[in-house]
Amino acid sequence: MNWRSLIPLLHKEFLLEFRQRYAISGIVLYVFSMVFVVYIASIRVTPPVWNVLFWLIVLFASINAVVKSFVQESGARQLYYYQLADPVVLLLAKIIYNTLLLFVLSTLAFAAYSLVAGNPVKDWPLFGLVLVLGSLGFSIAFTFIASIAAKANNSATLMAILSFPVILPILLTLVRLSSIALRLIQDTSYTRDILNLLAIDVILITLTFVLFPFIWKD
Amino acid sequence: MWWKTLSVVLIIYALLAGLLVPLKSGIQRVEPAYARTKQDVSIRFYGYNTFFAKPAAEPLRVWLYADENNALAARQIRPVNDTILEAVFTMPENLPGGKQSVYLNAIIDHPEAGAALLPAAVELRQDTGMVAMALDPAWMANPVQKLHVQTGFSFPYQNVIYESIRNTYFHVPMWFVLLFLFSASVWYSVKYLRQPLPENDRHAAAYAEAGLLFGVLGLVTGMVWANYTWGKPWSNDIKQLMTAVALLIYLAYFILRRSFDEYEKGARLAAVYNIFAFASLVPLLYIVPRMFASLHPGATGNPAFGSQDLDNTMRAVFYPAIIGWTLLGFWVANLRIRYQRLHDKVMDLEG
Repeated sequence: MNWRSLIPLLHKEFLLEFRQRYAISGIVLYVFSMVFVVYIASIRVTPPVWNVLFWLIVLFASINAVVKSFVQESGARQLYYYQLADPVVLLLAKIIYNTLLLFVLSTLAFAAYSLVAGNPVKDWPLFGLVLVLGSLGFSIAFTFIASIAAKANNSATLMAILSFPVILPILLTLVRLSSIALRLIQDTSYTRDILNLLAIDVILITLTFVLFPFIWKD
Repeated sequence: MWWKTLSVVLIIYALLAGLLVPLKSGIQRVEPAYARTKQDVSIRFYGYNTFFAKPAAEPLRVWLYADENNALAARQIRPVNDTILEAVFTMPENLPGGKQSVYLNAIIDHPEAGAALLPAAVELRQDTGMVAMALDPAWMANPVQKLHVQTGFSFPYQNVIYESIRNTYFHVPMWFVLLFLFSASVWYSVKYLRQPLPENDRHAAAYAEAGLLFGVLGLVTGMVWANYTWGKPWSNDIKQLMTAVALLIYLAYFILRRSFDEYEKGARLAAVYNIFAFASLVPLLYIVPRMFASLHPGATGNPAFGSQDLDNTMRAVFYPAIIGWTLLGFWVANLRIRYQRLHDKVMDLEG
């Protein structure tokens, strides 16, 4: 496996995003619209509701952000990349890029959401860690599912129905950890939850590497 | 074929034995459930599957049991009918360990039906006034001993569950079958990726379909059971939710299969998703339920079926039932594979 191509591929992802600024602007606008909708729809946001709504916003924003990672480039151009670099390295570059993108997006969502709905976070280091772990887990699962969904014609529908069940263990653990960070539940043994989350990530990324060679070949 | 016959035989056995074998005797409740020391109390015991009025070789014996060393025997016993028994107790002067209140377990020993127990049946409270320092000798006068054990083929009696314990042979095996069928489906998906033959894909799809069927059956039998024991069919129990999600995964799998114009492409991507989904089923069914409280037995820390929930007579029906239902599941899948093979031949997909 040729790992040296990882850096140029990552560079390519950033460059692509920078040149097609309307895509990322669209996602950011999407996040702000959702935050605003939540603000209008709910008069008073209590911390438990805050927690759930926040993760729903991040979830929907993440799906929309990641789904484009395979559909934005034409099939012919992707085939060209697969000849230049190892497909698995290409996928890894996309996962790393999406992790960063999702982290930025969830931080933005958090900032906007705190502005309109208040900020009940008590344990800042834990909440930051949850955001990082959430971006990582969402990125791995969604990037892989996007690579499957992009092959079909109805990719937006498929993306949603394929990824929701798969993401659920991650999402439930995230909501739980974040409610600990909000001091909604008292639990000092949350390291086990973090380990669970990392274990799920390891399972998913291993499978991603094993299975991706069967996806890209058409 | 022999295994189809075996499956029919085992399921008929599970149905007959599971539904016809009686429960052991049990105590449903007692009245009054409260007494004070130094009282003469007549307590009514309401039995289940009991034969209080039936003449037996030895007399009935009744105790209120505090702990290993301390128990009170009934002074006088009078069966009202087969399911109601009246026993008169002379409550002692004081309680073991100088406590203010103890919960006593009720034990009724019948020479043929065996011993029946109701935990924490009666609360005995210390009466006000002077209390003797030494423990009343009545506690040690008639220790619980020589209990009879019912030797016939019968299922354990458990409060709350009662007759619905029989659902163990129908609800629990569904999850075993589901896991076996989904494992077989993944196995054929891996095989398909290594060797893309339509036959492997047919197997993977058929096992997933049969697994889905048994998942729905498991959910429905569970809801029937929950209606009796938890009070309503759906309590948002974590295992119910996770099962519903697991079924959603496989529904998505079928939609993915049909989303492509080319057969080969759909089969390949569905195989990939099948493996991916099965791997995420493991955290769904084994990791997540451990993080949340559940109403299921053995819920704290261990979502699996506890070994202490089964006795030997139940095992004699439970294990054959698992084998029978598993074989039936593979039979259903097998029919589906054969149908699909003929269908593909007619549609000329194999050329």
